[in-house]
Amino acid sequence: MAVMNQEASLQLEIADLSMSFGGIQAIRGVSFGVKKGEIYSIIGPNGAGKTTIFNCISGIYRAKTGSIRFESRELIGLKPDRIAQLGISRAFQNIALFKGMTVLDNLMSARVHLMKYGLIGAAVYLGRCLREEVQNRDEVEDVIEFLDLQPVRKSPVGSLSYGLQKRVELARALAMKPKLMLVDEPVSGMNLEEREDMARYIIDINEERDITVILIEHDMGLVMDLSDRVTVLNFGTKIAEGVPGEVSRNPGVVQAYLGEAG
Amino acid sequence: MERVETTLPKLLLEKARLYGGRVAMREKYKGIWQEISWNTYRDKVEAFSLGLVALGMTKGDQVSILGENCPEWIFTDLAIQGVGGVAVGIYPTNSADQVRYILDHSESRFVVVKDQEQADKVLAAKESLSRLAKIIVIDMKGLRHYEEPLIVSYREVEAAGREAARQDPERFSRLVAATRPEDVAFIVYTSGTTGHPKGAMISHRNIIHQIVNGLQPILRFTDRDTLLSYLPLCHILERNLSMAMPLVFGYTVNFAESIDTVQQNIQEIGPTFFAAVPRILEKLHSSVQIRMGDSTWFKHWMYRAWQPVGRRVSQFEMSGAPVPWGWRLLYALGYLFIFRAIRDKIGMLNCRCLMSGGAPIAPEILSFFRILGVRTIEMYGITETAGTVSGPRGQIKHGSVGEPCRALEIKLAEDGEILLRGDSIFVGYYRDPAATHDVLPDGWFHTGDIGQLDADGHLYIVDRKKDIIITSGGKNISPSEIENKLKCSTYVKEAIVIGDRRNFITALIQIDYDNVGNWAQKNKIPFTTYRSLAENPAVYDLIKEEVHAANEGLAQVETVKKFKILEKELDQDDEELTATQKVKRKIIEERFQKEIEAMYAGR
Repeated sequence: MAVMNQEASLQLEIADLSMSFGGIQAIRGVSFGVKKGEIYSIIGPNGAGKTTIFNCISGIYRAKTGSIRFESRELIGLKPDRIAQLGISRAFQNIALFKGMTVLDNLMSARVHLMKYGLIGAAVYLGRCLREEVQNRDEVEDVIEFLDLQPVRKSPVGSLSYGLQKRVELARALAMKPKLMLVDEPVSGMNLEEREDMARYIIDINEERDITVILIEHDMGLVMDLSDRVTVLNFGTKIAEGVPGEVSRNPGVVQAYLGEAG
Repeated sequence: MERVETTLPKLLLEKARLYGGRVAMREKYKGIWQEISWNTYRDKVEAFSLGLVALGMTKGDQVSILGENCPEWIFTDLAIQGVGGVAVGIYPTNSADQVRYILDHSESRFVVVKDQEQADKVLAAKESLSRLAKIIVIDMKGLRHYEEPLIVSYREVEAAGREAARQDPERFSRLVAATRPEDVAFIVYTSGTTGHPKGAMISHRNIIHQIVNGLQPILRFTDRDTLLSYLPLCHILERNLSMAMPLVFGYTVNFAESIDTVQQNIQEIGPTFFAAVPRILEKLHSSVQIRMGDSTWFKHWMYRAWQPVGRRVSQFEMSGAPVPWGWRLLYALGYLFIFRAIRDKIGMLNCRCLMSGGAPIAPEILSFFRILGVRTIEMYGITETAGTVSGPRGQIKHGSVGEPCRALEIKLAEDGEILLRGDSIFVGYYRDPAATHDVLPDGWFHTGDIGQLDADGHLYIVDRKKDIIITSGGKNISPSEIENKLKCSTYVKEAIVIGDRRNFITALIQIDYDNVGNWAQKNKIPFTTYRSLAENPAVYDLIKEEVHAANEGLAQVETVKKFKILEKELDQDDEELTATQKVKRKIIEERFQKEIEAMYAGR
């Protein structure tokens, strides 16, 4: 777990966020703040609005009211590619990779928003283009080593096991060189060994690369071990927030998860 | 034979003077093979060596190394020996408890670990390791926030050493000059199929004598050879190949990225010499068989059609006789059509010699590689002889482990046990005089292996003395011969033959999950896990046929009458396999007592 910096300011600030689809209020008036360098988890039963919050942050949905400020800059209204450029990347629950392309190519293409050379430069492959491509490959190789993907560097993503594809998905988000990473259910459908590996990678990403992580996960063991702070949603409303120990003792949370105590 | 009067660190200084900027090692970093010269090699060892001295290490101290193969592993090994210390290798696959045992038993003052995973194992046991002064970590990833005074990074130690070298440039040379050939260079903990591991002490003279007089007449290395380092370095075989032998011969060692990339790395490097344990060769063999099965009928037909030619030519070559011109021509065609392509696929295009060692191997696997035109030899060696005991110098005989090497005197005891004497016999087991006395009661080293010598002086290994099965009919049977026959099948991963004091032979079989899984998919047999596959009656029938096929080549008393497919995969974590993936017969027989009794109860 990251060592908390005392005067850490809020890197991401969500205030009074609401989002509805037709008559369904997916999230209503949710506010929370994430400090730089922490692992922050959002938990809650199915349909609590967790993924909707991610979609709002990454610009896929446009929230109706409220604000999302990243490093004191309003995100609502920005396009997803612009948000990625600001330093927010996302690892999707349903793997978002090009199945027919190799791991290496997938990771290289994740960095497209960092490249500045134009069409002509690419055609002659000299100067700036060459420099950028070499640097990109260098950083992608860093990510490959970081997540132990060397054995599958040149394998098409579609041929890999599910657990490994999830890791490539994480690598893709990491290759985007983010300051903040949104990680959506990284260990769903994995076996115990794969879970432990994934937990280790998330901690490493957070500690070694100083990347703030916001995590959505159903595996309570993982959430409690990894997170610095946790927020609990139920039916689109925040019902608790705090350090893992506090939250798991909160009666409202127990009720939301286990139903009314009889 | 001249007596060896040098040490490994002295050889390093000599080779660095001789070769200077030539490539000593390659390591893949960020997807590119990076080169390390002999000069850098020397400087790295010097820096770490003096760094250890700065931490308080003195002559005679034990230092352990725990982690996967990498150049730093070798630097550390020689740095320890340079100070006059003893290097102890620990398998990276060992559990925290096994690691604790070896650190405690070897009285290690320092331990050098590769990464966080290994560091955690040591930290878990630190309370009971009062002698341990520092844990030196090569890759600090994930450890930055550990507030643990024991931990220091490899770089820091190296930097301290570099500073010391700057102040006194001759210091390292003086330390190295003080090392003596009879000093213990390193301890190899034998994985041991029974009981606690034992620490075999190997001196500089042991290992160098064994390389120069034992291995070289068989393997004939030059400084133009290239090798891939991928087997565990704490094992005597890889320790020889990656650390000690390059210091004698000056060839280049390449470090595999990880154990999973070995096949890929072989292809990239194209080593001229490849050493493997049977399991790796079995895997390569079955991968080719399976790819052949999936390829077009034409390729398949070509493969089958050219095999007899390859077999005939390999027979000429093995006997040492010249190959007749007609056969040579025919073989050249076969090479063009099929053999070259297969050799290229498995990375053996440049391979001049393929060596199998570590455990007995099925002759069928060896002939597969011989048909491809790779000189394939089987050698016999043990940790306690610093490596080699025997290997073929010229003629290769099927099933033989070659002639006893010239470095050792050999004789067979009355019961056939192989006894050895010579300069490469180890010093003894560390802190275990009783065990040392058991194997060295009279100046001869008792190997515990039963062997036979033929008229030409070729050695044949029958089996481990304690593994020999005596059936209730009084017949002596070697289980490993039967097991290897069974393991020839691509569907059988592991086989354990039972039958001691019983009236017939049975076998426990572990199916190969990947290959049987593939077969099941092709035959539309649904399965979810290893267990559901193992319990499937169709799989039972498949294995039954494989067992029948294996029985064909066996004498009547040796045939496997019944077998049982194991419902779980054997695992090192469950203590069923040693770190070198050998089965622990005793433990397995105890654990599967019920299954074994069921096989014998049926009659």
